[in-house]
Amino acid sequence: MIKLENIKKEYGGRTVLNVPFAEVNKGERLALTGANGSGKSTLLKVIAGVIPFDGERLIGGKVLYMPQKNTVFDMSVMKNVTFSMTGRKKEKEEKAYEALEKVGLQQLYKKNALGLSGGEAARLALARIIVHDGDLLLLDEPTGSVDVEGTEIIENVINDYVAQKDRILIIATHSPLQARRLAERVIMLEKGNIAEDLPPEELLNAPKTDFGKKFVDMWRY
Amino acid sequence: MLLSMDKELIHIIGVTLRMSFFSTLISCIIGIPAGVLLEKGRFTGRQLLKKTASTLMGLPPVVAGLIVYMLFTKYGIFGSLGLLFTVEVMIIAQVMLITPVVTCLTSSVVSVTGKNLSETAKGLSVSKTKSVLLFIIHNRRALLSVVLTAFGRSIAEVGAVSLVGGNIQWKTRVMTTAILLETNKGKFTFALALGIILLIISLVVNVLASLLTKGGSEDD
Repeated sequence: MIKLENIKKEYGGRTVLNVPFAEVNKGERLALTGANGSGKSTLLKVIAGVIPFDGERLIGGKVLYMPQKNTVFDMSVMKNVTFSMTGRKKEKEEKAYEALEKVGLQQLYKKNALGLSGGEAARLALARIIVHDGDLLLLDEPTGSVDVEGTEIIENVINDYVAQKDRILIIATHSPLQARRLAERVIMLEKGNIAEDLPPEELLNAPKTDFGKKFVDMWRY
Repeated sequence: MLLSMDKELIHIIGVTLRMSFFSTLISCIIGIPAGVLLEKGRFTGRQLLKKTASTLMGLPPVVAGLIVYMLFTKYGIFGSLGLLFTVEVMIIAQVMLITPVVTCLTSSVVSVTGKNLSETAKGLSVSKTKSVLLFIIHNRRALLSVVLTAFGRSIAEVGAVSLVGGNIQWKTRVMTTAILLETNKGKFTFALALGIILLIISLVVNVLASLLTKGGSEDD
């Protein structure tokens, strides 16, 4: 589980995140949504523990985090996946190959990852994640630069991985529709504050705040 | 003339390579970690140190030579070591000149990829030691350019090495100081020939270095 209390993050004296309390339980799938600069990425970074912040953060389990500006390493696709793994080379490569099959990159395993397209790089980033046995999966706009087909592959892989072990999923997305496909709860952030915390259907059909209405309307029309 | 290299010329090339190799090596040992620290570290005076390093990039070689000369002259702080007019003191002068260059160039490499790479590695629970390895592997081409720039500056330098080395025949004469000497003597053809050898050495070093990092640019 995840428990956040009095979380504050400032950049240059400006508060970019202010979360008095938030809790995510085991097996829960949460989508973070909101405009650019609303604090989605910052909140994910706080939960992942990759940036300093004020407040209390309680995390139960191993965290796997995929940042928005995800870097593919200057090495082969296979090595990109095996680099963070431990164990014997053969076992690592077998497991990595399986993950690459899931994201549809198995034929490119020898290729240098810098030569991949944006969509392929996003799928590789996900393959690097799913070879690990994590408890919390934090994904920052994993389909931001991916086409429809790639998005479908990524969403299926995420669904399978999370369902395997009742893992927690927190995904930052600009799309309320993707939130509905992947999550059962949506937190909408506005200027670093939680503006809405509700099921995705409610957000799409009856958003509580003006900002929520505007956000969803922009996606509808 | 180039084909019939005499013993003195071979000695000059040897001294040049020894001086350039060790000054580059020491500068990289100091400068690369310093560059990473200046970009990633969070400590008081970091900005001042960054400014100092970038200012020192423009340090005139003769000034560096003069400082080292004063330190190692008979009445200088390190005078008792008796290193003046040796290859060792030439290496020290070169290190003084090249280290800021290595530091600043490394710092800019880190500023470009460091943050995203570090967050990606943390997200995959990569250990700190492995993160350092990842940084080196991922940036090997950029870091190689840093090393080659340092080597290029070292091998082409003349002001500081002639001051502290003295251009002594069979001892501290290097390619650049030999070119200077031959030019002063009016032997332009020989000076030009030395210049060509210097360029060939640089070319060979560049080719060897690029071969070292060739794997990975296409299929890996």
